[in-house]
Amino acid sequence: MKKFFEDWKIHALAFILTLVAELIGTKRFDLGFTAFSLFPMLYVLIFGGILGGAKVLPRKMMEEASPYIGISVLLLTAKVGSTIGPNLANVIKAGPALLLQEFGNLGTAVLALPIAVYVFHMGRACIGSSFSISREGSLAVVASKYGLDSEEGMGVMGSYITGTVLGTLFYGIMVSILAPTGIFHPYALAMACGTGSASMMSASLGAVIDAYPAMAEELTAYAATSNMLSSVDGLYMSLFIAVPMCEWMYKKFTANNKHYNDGKPIDKKAKKEAE
Amino acid sequence: MKKTDWAVYLKVLCFSAVFASIGNWISTIKAGAPVTPLEAVPGMVLLLVITIVGQLIWEMINKVWSKNLPAIAYISLIAIIVTIPGFPGAEFTAASINKIGLLPLCTPILAYAGISLGKDLDTFKKQGPAIVAVSLFAFLGTYIGSAIIAQLILKLTGVI
Repeated sequence: MKKFFEDWKIHALAFILTLVAELIGTKRFDLGFTAFSLFPMLYVLIFGGILGGAKVLPRKMMEEASPYIGISVLLLTAKVGSTIGPNLANVIKAGPALLLQEFGNLGTAVLALPIAVYVFHMGRACIGSSFSISREGSLAVVASKYGLDSEEGMGVMGSYITGTVLGTLFYGIMVSILAPTGIFHPYALAMACGTGSASMMSASLGAVIDAYPAMAEELTAYAATSNMLSSVDGLYMSLFIAVPMCEWMYKKFTANNKHYNDGKPIDKKAKKEAE
Repeated sequence: MKKTDWAVYLKVLCFSAVFASIGNWISTIKAGAPVTPLEAVPGMVLLLVITIVGQLIWEMINKVWSKNLPAIAYISLIAIIVTIPGFPGAEFTAASINKIGLLPLCTPILAYAGISLGKDLDTFKKQGPAIVAVSLFAFLGTYIGSAIIAQLILKLTGVI
């Protein structure tokens, strides 16, 4: 029994971090042309990182806390699932364009993974970064498949932070550049807005509506439905298609690649020293 | 899982649920519609039950199928099924869980992640810029991918 509560410090610290972060609350920053928000979950990550980096936390504590992420994230999985059930009937009504464009979400991997390997010579962290837009559900996927303290876990956590801080900003700017070009029909632009993150959807939809204000209502409906679809299929799309696809691409791209050895990037410094 | 593993599993789930309920309380006070931890109990208990049942099903299937799916696939599936309108108590289940916000539920998880983050800080520093860049390409990829497919299908079906 004594052993059972030996790790109380970890839980106490997790509780304190949660309290402090929630008391600070969500902070919204308005930059005029776009806006972004910082959330309590980002603060706890940063606070923890600072405590760990400043060597305030013993290494043993950091290592013990690691598997707890994978356990607590299960509650989140249940929560996300519970928002899908009530929407399931709407999925059937969505129509072919809306349904099929969901596969466009695999564009994350198609575009990002080759760049990660050929430009940045990244290790397996890029699998975690590339298979999705790295929202909450993706953390659960990686936690259960690889563990969040793996390379893949580092990738998805890094992307999660990137998305939280820069996601809305990025989508707002990117779509406001793309929308007026007329390459895509406004309906297609609106459907693409639904990536599975409500805040990112709002940012990109805002930019589409800005370019086509007369269609605001239809565009909002398309974007919202697409976003709902993405949150319904996201977890299963990741597990069954996106992650295996990233694994396969990573293997293909790193084989016979002079920057990689046995699927691992060759450390330039280590290589020089060896010579 | 072994008995000791289950003990740790339940301990962490319960702690996370309690922390999230209190975090949820603070965040709903700030939003102007407070949900006290007591009001969050039914929703939290349901989340815990769904999670544990999902884990048990995973274990049972694991005994007969070595290439089992991860437990989250089952947990998510159960959560979906019990909230489909028409399932007994679906409305109550969905409404109870709805009282717990998505973001306050994430905070304790990320708190554990934050505590363990320190040990990976060096790798993070080294890989950080590449991860940021790759993430942005992933964001671009999903948008363009979806837009291309939507455009094609809308054209083919004569909508535009």
